[in-house]
Amino acid sequence: MNWVGAALWVLGLGIPAVVDTTWVSVAAVFAIYAITALSEDIILGRAGMFDMGHAVYLGLGAYVTAILNVAFNWPIFATMPVAIMLAAAVGALLAAPLIRLRGDYLLVATIGFNAIFVLAMQNNAAGLTGGSDGITGVDVPHLFSWELASQSAMFWLDWVVLGFVLLLMRNLDRCEFGRTLRYLKQDQLAATTLGVNARAAKTLAFAIGAGLAALAGSLFAVQLSTVGPTSFVFTESVTLFAIVIVGGQGSIPGILLGTALMFVVPQIFRNLAEYRYFVFGIAMIAVMVLRPQGLWPRRKRAA
Amino acid sequence: MTTLLELRNVGISFGGLRAVDALSFSVEQGQIVGLIGPNGAGKTTVFNMITGVHLPTDGDIFWQGRRITGAPPHRIAALGIQRTFQTIRLFPDMSVFENVRAGCHLRARQRWWQGLMALPAQKREEAALAARTHNVLRRLQLDRFADEPATALPYGLQRRVELARALAGEPRLIILDEPAAGLNDAESAAMNQTIFGIRDAGTTVLLVEHDMNVVMNVTDHIVVINFGRMIAAGTPAEIRSHPAVIEAYLGREDDDAEDAA
Amino acid sequence: MSIFIQQIFNGLTVGGIYALIALGYTMVYGVMRLINFAHGDLCILGAFIGLTLLSSAIGSEQPGPAMLALAFVVAIIVVAVAGLVLELVAYRPLRKADRLAAVVSALGASILIENGIMLIWGPNVHVFPAGLLPQTTWYVAGAAITFVQVMIILASLVLMAALYLFVHHTRFGTAIRAAAIDQDTARLMGINVSRVIASVFIIGPALGAIGGLFIGVYYREAYFTMGWTYGLYAFIAAILGGIGNIPGAMLGGVLLGLFNAFAAGYVSSSWQDAITFGLLIAILLVRPTGLLGERVAEKV
Repeated sequence: MNWVGAALWVLGLGIPAVVDTTWVSVAAVFAIYAITALSEDIILGRAGMFDMGHAVYLGLGAYVTAILNVAFNWPIFATMPVAIMLAAAVGALLAAPLIRLRGDYLLVATIGFNAIFVLAMQNNAAGLTGGSDGITGVDVPHLFSWELASQSAMFWLDWVVLGFVLLLMRNLDRCEFGRTLRYLKQDQLAATTLGVNARAAKTLAFAIGAGLAALAGSLFAVQLSTVGPTSFVFTESVTLFAIVIVGGQGSIPGILLGTALMFVVPQIFRNLAEYRYFVFGIAMIAVMVLRPQGLWPRRKRAA
Repeated sequence: MTTLLELRNVGISFGGLRAVDALSFSVEQGQIVGLIGPNGAGKTTVFNMITGVHLPTDGDIFWQGRRITGAPPHRIAALGIQRTFQTIRLFPDMSVFENVRAGCHLRARQRWWQGLMALPAQKREEAALAARTHNVLRRLQLDRFADEPATALPYGLQRRVELARALAGEPRLIILDEPAAGLNDAESAAMNQTIFGIRDAGTTVLLVEHDMNVVMNVTDHIVVINFGRMIAAGTPAEIRSHPAVIEAYLGREDDDAEDAA
Repeated sequence: MSIFIQQIFNGLTVGGIYALIALGYTMVYGVMRLINFAHGDLCILGAFIGLTLLSSAIGSEQPGPAMLALAFVVAIIVVAVAGLVLELVAYRPLRKADRLAAVVSALGASILIENGIMLIWGPNVHVFPAGLLPQTTWYVAGAAITFVQVMIILASLVLMAALYLFVHHTRFGTAIRAAAIDQDTARLMGINVSRVIASVFIIGPALGAIGGLFIGVYYREAYFTMGWTYGLYAFIAAILGGIGNIPGAMLGGVLLGLFNAFAAGYVSSSWQDAITFGLLIAILLVRPTGLLGERVAEKV
């Protein structure tokens, strides 16, 4: 599977050579959402915490990059570590009270945080967030003296980051932290009896998931060159949540497949216009009823 | 003889129910101690208090002289105390190997970023812990089943896997909650040998058991509780003839004999 | 002082509506441990069904209270049937599966119903015909209290009382409460749990349809995304009162309605929603089981 995955990734680098700019931008957005979905999988699919407000971290990353770049003239790449650290800190902070809550309550609390975030952005908090219109004019990234101005260049940046995140996720599968999350998800009592610090592990999962989502958010801001509150509303969180469950919890190919279906397919069927979401709803129910374990469930390996 | 575990006047109430009351006993290193009593006497509750699942409302628990009352389960595990569960709690979506490997969790020193970056030190540790897991599987004759889904095995084997998991971390004290439950006579006898083997390998044993073939033959010291209170303590021979114990627990057979007469 | 009284009545009206919708969430969660995300959309479907009936009557003459009553009846029936179908198609097949699968199915159902409404009735805001009910207004200490408000408040009270009596003083109501505590044991006691679940998916949506139509009559408008807005508020109300707890949902609804009315009256409206969500998070952190305590079985 690994070699197939690596080969597909290498092939993906050739996308700008084969399709026109519209489709390259679709591919770029796919990469960004895939990173976000993988980050949601860490919290929901692997650590088993019902995070239905994950768009907050995507938004944090996007707004940090936009604010630092547009208002303070920071170069894009310099904004990314800040975005990641800030979101990770927020994630860890929010996790602290949330972790004690039972699943459904945690779910509702994350919805609440998402709503508050969007409202705060809309109300132009601290005079920085630009209100409902958001922030426009986000720059392009500069790598040394290169300007990554073309859609293709931005796509490659996104694709490389996606590759890096995929490596990270593969390593997560094979290391003690990844195992720890599996233990916690399957039987928390047994896990703690074996020495797992549930609180620390879950907080760390939240922080890493938040940080990676913020990284995607930075890329998002660059891709759209505009950042507004409507991109991070509850429906986006719902989509991310659904991707993980529909694709297959803890399954990297499943998540990628889920992202493709949720974001790319509606693009393909753009001419169906207003029927799109109606069909979407039907599809979600159908997939769950027919295949509750997800489209490409995680394969149990004896590693 | 070093005292490993000591309970002093430990008690717990659940709402209005006094589940355990004024319980005091200790476990010395190298002993095999049995905790027996009728169903509902509070034995599993005692285990849950020792392993940090419940917080005692009164009294204290000491480990090697240090107070550990109320420490969370993962802290208790780090001290070298492991347990098995009355209802087997294996990880359902994992193989036998993966389950037993979980017992090595505390031996894994790798930091999370080392794992995420797949650094060489982390890889070496992975290999070492995998080897250790295989050793434990071999010692308990489970290596044949290493790749089987753990919960697909027959009940007796699952118990052994859970035991292997608890032993993988080389604990100083292991608490066994009804290790012979569901086993036939031959399997119980084998379990006795396994328990002796555990003690001989350096792990002290505290167990709860209803099967008298196991309790009487394996333990050095027995504590008897009923309705959450200790009613007797001593060697198997002393307990066997103790009037209060016979009345509360073993005496059920005498009752049947009286009824039949 | 008049603002205060005004907000009290505004709050009680909206609170009654929230309570009626919240009951649907709480009953389903109590019995199935499932957040029925599609519930709010079902309630708004009731508003649209009622609207269609009322609008189609306009051609002949001005629709009055009789027509409105008929609209209620039709809306209740349609939505109750829809609720049953929803349970059968989206939830029943997933009873044995991972809970998260049911959550996603519920989300899918919500998207489906909301967009179905949009496809049938269009994305615009629809206006309810005027003059459905007497425009009588009473003045109490400077506050204007309308007939519609009083009607909604009284109707909500009556319905809540009726539900309470049903759940606590009838055999079937006891069956519902038993299934909410422990489905397996209830089954063993001879309770037809499937029938209990079906009934919950009739009663909940029925009450919700009434709530939805009240929204249309009170605010005189309906639009397809209302299901989310009101659904979310009603859900917060259910949590506030204690999820699974029927009196809790009633209390939570009323309190939330009052809270919203006062927040709107005394604080800037752009932050009103943020305050409500802040309240939700505060409840979850301090007392997640709600004011009257949750009523769900603890699955250890």
